[in-house]
Amino acid sequence: MKLIILKKNLKDGLRSIERICAENPSLPILKNFLIETIDNKIKLAATNLELGITTFISGKIIENGSVTIPLNIFNSIINNLQVEKINLELKKDKLIIKTDNYQAEIQGIKKEEFPIIPQIGNIKQFIKIKNSLLKNALISAVNSATADNRPELSGILFDFQITILKLAATDTFRLSEKTIANNHFESNFDGNFKVIIPLKTIQEVIKEIQSNESQETKIYIDQNQVLFKTENTEIISRLINGEFPDYQQIIPKNIANEIILNAEELINAVKLSSVFSDKFNEIKIIINKDAKNVEIFSASQSVGENKYLVPAKIQKMAENQMEISFNWRFLLDGLKNIKSENIFLGLNDLSKPALIKSPQDESWIYILMPIKS
Amino acid sequence: MDLNQLWQTTLSEIELQISRPNFLTWFKNSSLVEKKKDGEIIIGLANNFSKEWVKNKYHKVIFEILKNYDDTIKKIEYTVIENKVSLFNNVADGFEIKQPTIPELKIDPESGLHPRYKLDSFIVGSSNELAYAASLAVIKNIGKKYNPFFIYGGTGLGKTHMIQGVGNEIKKTYKNKIKVKYVHSEKFVNEVVTAIRNKRMEDLKNKYRNIDVLIIDDIQFIGGKERSEEEFFHTFNVLYENNKQIIISSDRAPAAIPTLHERLRSRFEGGMAADITYPDYEMRLAIIKTKLAEIKGDLPDNICEIIALKVQRNIREIEGILNKILFYKEVKNVDLDPKTAEEIINNVIQQSGRKITPNQIINSVAVYFEIPISDISGQSRRKSAMEPRQIVIFLLREMLGMSYPDIGEKLGKRDHTTIIHSYEKISKEINKNHSLNQKIILLKEIINENS
Repeated sequence: MKLIILKKNLKDGLRSIERICAENPSLPILKNFLIETIDNKIKLAATNLELGITTFISGKIIENGSVTIPLNIFNSIINNLQVEKINLELKKDKLIIKTDNYQAEIQGIKKEEFPIIPQIGNIKQFIKIKNSLLKNALISAVNSATADNRPELSGILFDFQITILKLAATDTFRLSEKTIANNHFESNFDGNFKVIIPLKTIQEVIKEIQSNESQETKIYIDQNQVLFKTENTEIISRLINGEFPDYQQIIPKNIANEIILNAEELINAVKLSSVFSDKFNEIKIIINKDAKNVEIFSASQSVGENKYLVPAKIQKMAENQMEISFNWRFLLDGLKNIKSENIFLGLNDLSKPALIKSPQDESWIYILMPIKS
Repeated sequence: MDLNQLWQTTLSEIELQISRPNFLTWFKNSSLVEKKKDGEIIIGLANNFSKEWVKNKYHKVIFEILKNYDDTIKKIEYTVIENKVSLFNNVADGFEIKQPTIPELKIDPESGLHPRYKLDSFIVGSSNELAYAASLAVIKNIGKKYNPFFIYGGTGLGKTHMIQGVGNEIKKTYKNKIKVKYVHSEKFVNEVVTAIRNKRMEDLKNKYRNIDVLIIDDIQFIGGKERSEEEFFHTFNVLYENNKQIIISSDRAPAAIPTLHERLRSRFEGGMAADITYPDYEMRLAIIKTKLAEIKGDLPDNICEIIALKVQRNIREIEGILNKILFYKEVKNVDLDPKTAEEIINNVIQQSGRKITPNQIINSVAVYFEIPISDISGQSRRKSAMEPRQIVIFLLREMLGMSYPDIGEKLGKRDHTTIIHSYEKISKEINKNHSLNQKIILLKEIINENS
């Protein structure tokens, strides 16, 4: 193998695969990545046996070949080289990196020892969606997922119903649901499906598509795998085998107290109040019927207390006064995803979850359980 | 040699030929899934990476070893069988966390069972021992002994607890090998409606026909909903013919669900029907103690006794009252004296029964027995009028605490001794005559609902 690659291209390629390449005591080769020439393209691949990432970069191929080498060593060399073009050459199992005044030899391992990255079974059907939209949808859900001991919750649900695609995630304290209508994506799937995609995979996809928001991603699904395919990169992952909770029933249908708040002010208030919140991250929202604002209050016995008045329109109020507490981190996670000027806050009983969304836009909802005060 | 043994022997030979890390990485959680008649054997591996690797690197080795033991093997196929990670983990239970979870999310999505309902926490007494014994028999012999198993009784007596408890116990005993599905009949009806609308009836059929234990709660709501009844009827038959267990609960005996089709009714009566009646004093006391332990509350014995004495009808009510008393105790931060406890209980009980009037009782009974109201206060001595009249007397006394002369006045100026006689007659009869007891329970519910 003999290649000449622009440093920028090589770095971009490495950035796509570097995060999943890690030390693995039982299979040391997993800290290596694969570099291989295929159809006049240079392929880089890495895996952690949960997901596999393959990316293609351009470069001049003088001689075909393949090898796997430790990623962190290769990465530190490339990062510190001050040249534009990098020459790579394979001699036996050694990869030689050469510039005008520098040369390094890295001991590699044969491609044959490297795990085979699986292929998706169903390549005919896919969902095509704009990166910017997909990124926002994934980010809005990713905070609510959990990495704890319930596997079916450690991922994001993709609930495809032909005319809509729903993304939902929950850690049992809160739940978020994003609905994407089919005028925002293309698809040739002919039936409904529900799959749960692991959190780690989602995080990789978000990082991958962040850099090229104007492009599109294709999502392929088969019985137990999912493939996210962008222009140059493919991320293949297992699906979580389990059933996502039937969450429709917890979305409040009747809301006793409806409040519209200014988004910026509320986010600011929550951030400020968090300074005084206790170890449970508790902040209190105090609402008075007929008032023009809502009080955000927090106190910590040893530190002090504060309150913030947020202008609000109280649309509907069942009682005269209401005090409800939330974990400010969870609250903020939800508020951050609202891009509109105002925020709709729907409260019922103190023991029932609250509903947070944008007043105009029904496509994203956030359901949060209050704290027992 | 069965498949499992064959695979274990094969694995031990493979282990000798490859390195330990490799063996652990690729063959962890592998198994022989199936051997087909034509000599094809299917090997299941933990994930797609293992599948690709084993297929490409170890196929020859595996094939040779397997052939040594069984020369009928012609071909090997590989598949991914992900280990069903224990879907339900109760690690977080027990902990007291300030941030509560959204309660509905605790329900196991696959079976629909709530982990809170355990058979261990079910208090057994004379009122439910038959149903409990039958439950245990069902758990032991799924689908064989009592099928369908039909539990009926008034609201708040523990039907849901019992059937969900059976479901959870089955899951625990058989380690998820048996597929349990709990569904409320209302949800079933909704699913049928959605399936009809989306033209996806097939999905629904498949969903319910691949289950080993189907538990349907509050089946009486299905009555009168033609299409759901029909769908349920077919599902029932398929499951029944395949010896799958069916467990049903209802607020009344199959014969007493008025809108239910004959063909369904006869099927419900075909298995075992057990009823749950009102708990006696000792049982109520035991329930209170268990509940207190569950919610980690503490109340003196004399207060528990008062609650057990006063709240007779509904266990769910006991729960409500307990919460209220504990809340009171916590907020006021004082030790409760029996008098205050009694006041709280009276408040709750009266609230629920406040609006019932004598006329409502008379009307409801007349409607139930399909006789004109005039017959109840009239002088007719026909049996069809006598029984309802006596029941009205009993209910007026029981539910409203009216005095005997008052009742006599209300029912066509009867003498109070007549009233006493009727009341005592029903009071005695109720313990002996089962169908009468059922009628009265049902009437009480109808009256409470209408008020």
